[in-house]
Amino acid sequence: MARQLTPLGRVLVVLAGLALLGYGLYKYGVLAKLSGIVAPDKKAEGTVSRDDFGQTGAGETGPGGGATTPASIAGGTRLNRPIKVAIVLWGGYAGGIMANGGMAPNNDSVFSKDYGVQVEMLQIDDFTKSRDAFRAGGDRGGVDIMWSTVDAYALEYDGISKLNPKAILQYDWSRGGDAIAVDAAIKSVKDLKGRKLACAEATPSHYFALYVLTQGGLTNRDVNWVFTDSAVDAANVFKAGQVDAAVSWSPDVYVAARERQGGHILASTKEASNLIADIFVARGDFLEQHPEDARRFVAGWLKGVEMVEKNPERAAVLLQKSLSGVNTLEDAKGMLEDVKLPNYAENRAFFNPQGSLVNYQSIYQTAQNIWRKIGKISRVYPGYQTVDTRFLEAAAEYFPQAQEAKAEFEFKTPPRPAAEPILTKTVSIFFPSGSSALDENAKAVLETQVVDLAATFGSAYMRISGNTDSVGGRDANVRLSRARADAVTRFLVSKGFDRNKFEVVGNGPDRPVATNETDEGRARNRRTDFEVIPR
Amino acid sequence: MNVREAVGERRARALALAGLVTFLGIWAALSYADLVPSVILPSPTEVLQAFPVLHFQEALVRSAGWSLYRVTMGFLLSGLVAIPLGLLMGTFPAVKHFLSPLVDPLRFLPISALVPLFLVWFGIEETMKIMLLFVGTLVYLLPLVVEAVEGVDDVYLQTATTLGATRWQLVRHVLVPGSLPAIGEALRVMNGIGWTYVILAEIVNARYGLGHIITVAGKRSHVDQIFAGVIVILAIGVASDVVIRIINKQLFTWKR
Repeated sequence: MARQLTPLGRVLVVLAGLALLGYGLYKYGVLAKLSGIVAPDKKAEGTVSRDDFGQTGAGETGPGGGATTPASIAGGTRLNRPIKVAIVLWGGYAGGIMANGGMAPNNDSVFSKDYGVQVEMLQIDDFTKSRDAFRAGGDRGGVDIMWSTVDAYALEYDGISKLNPKAILQYDWSRGGDAIAVDAAIKSVKDLKGRKLACAEATPSHYFALYVLTQGGLTNRDVNWVFTDSAVDAANVFKAGQVDAAVSWSPDVYVAARERQGGHILASTKEASNLIADIFVARGDFLEQHPEDARRFVAGWLKGVEMVEKNPERAAVLLQKSLSGVNTLEDAKGMLEDVKLPNYAENRAFFNPQGSLVNYQSIYQTAQNIWRKIGKISRVYPGYQTVDTRFLEAAAEYFPQAQEAKAEFEFKTPPRPAAEPILTKTVSIFFPSGSSALDENAKAVLETQVVDLAATFGSAYMRISGNTDSVGGRDANVRLSRARADAVTRFLVSKGFDRNKFEVVGNGPDRPVATNETDEGRARNRRTDFEVIPR
Repeated sequence: MNVREAVGERRARALALAGLVTFLGIWAALSYADLVPSVILPSPTEVLQAFPVLHFQEALVRSAGWSLYRVTMGFLLSGLVAIPLGLLMGTFPAVKHFLSPLVDPLRFLPISALVPLFLVWFGIEETMKIMLLFVGTLVYLLPLVVEAVEGVDDVYLQTATTLGATRWQLVRHVLVPGSLPAIGEALRVMNGIGWTYVILAEIVNARYGLGHIITVAGKRSHVDQIFAGVIVILAIGVASDVVIRIINKQLFTWKR
């Protein structure tokens, strides 16, 4: 006789059945698969390592991408209102503000008197709002031209590609404007491993952090990222002790480093002088309809850069008066010191893929590759599509004296021996046994691994030290390692670097990083270290 | 149409549907006819196409789950604080006057200004996000609860007193049951407040979250994704509204 189940018994049986079923689904991966369909995770983040930087070279020059095509900007009409430009609180706009005698359009400015254009600069510090203004456009209450950085532009291009935007001018290099603040325990990039690092995601800060991390031998997966909405927030969480390090910009990052006990600056764009390039991006329809105005804007702005160079005092006064958020004249001077304003010749070299060692195309390609690898973009656009150098080229008539861009940094004294390197990049360069000659392979390795590093850390010194394993006599090894480091240095100098930038050291077998007992260990000991040393 | 002319249920539904269709029609007309460029107003198709992108690349469902969790926790916490405190304040005017200098100005609290402070106080993890939503909801919920208790008709209190009720019995059998339906209604309305602050709450260190998705989409000029994110929030909002309505109806049967 079957006994009738009580209601409670029935519930228990059903529960047990469900539990069994659930366990089965879990065990055979059905649940995981199901959650993958119903609620898939974010696209997996790839690993960014040092090999992702400096690889691209000048391979990608599309139709008219080189500097060779003669500029033709005929057609279009003249604009009957001021050109509207979105800017932020930043010293890099000194050139334009100088040429315009402030931010508002007026008839007494160099822009107006010498170049026949009216320019209105609008300070929009909220990033998203500045993009909203750009999408709206100058004819609909927005702006025609917006600020960006090459690295960030590579990321945001997808969202605005319908506007057919073009980079037309570089107005500054960040030189100290971006920096990494760290707590007392962190002395070099390697110490960041496993630490909490705050920055605004997918911004120049993020890019700067990735660059410094990877060149110091870490990857993007070696730190715990804490992403904030803005650079200021990143500085604040660092100040509050919530993270071990933060990437932010001037002056917040310096204030945060000062106010936190033991806090200091690990690296800044003062050393990584050619990494964050600030550029103006114009709407495609604006350039198409009013090319002549764009040309005059570019020319007037670069004239302003020359004016700042001649009279930095006046530039600081104007900056303080024009931008909101600059409290004292000292602040304005500090802001000017955080940037380098490239002149006409330097702009031409920057936008020429065969020009500067680090140029628009090289940064754009590298940045795009990085963002794609960490899953921030899924579509890529060739660099030449994102830039239009015609306006710059057509402005040549205003700069007849413009010469080749010349070396910017002077290297006089060798690096102080006590100076701590910001980071050490270890590269294995193959030399034939007993020889110090560089073969084509070795040159290729240097080209991709070291030239970009040395050029990006343009203002910093570099110590090149050769190391060997312990096989053979010590003296001979020391001599050989020195000769090899010399060969490497000669190659770098042939690429256009100042000889005084480099300090050459032959360590021989004295500084092993692994055991000399095994083949593998000896291979690791045969290496060249490139130490980036701040001036 | 006469003033306050009653509308039957079927007609009400038809009107709602017509309103929806009109709205969608205007949107479609504006965007498909290219009257407004798509970088400003994306077309309905573009918004629909944003969903699979968000789903497969930006973990839309997980994000919705996390945001729902944060908003719900903030909501429950504020309910836990606001209901007893509100009952106390509504029952004893002395308590209310004592707390009024603190509570009254709170409704003018700029929540966005609290973000940096909360980062310092509560860190960068979930606590900070939930606390922000908790405070954001509480400041609106508390006055409504007090009002609900004060709204209980004096007649009931007088009747109970005449029948010899003690102070505790007055609260237990008159004020609480009398005000609960109104409190339930307040909870329903205030459930939406959390969603208005979710973007702020997820501004720092949010790996998942609808607010996070919308912020990022805004930064990268993906207007279609902003629309998609907003639609998801609206859908969740409407759904939770319906759920709370049903719960209220079940719980407070004496209201009608």
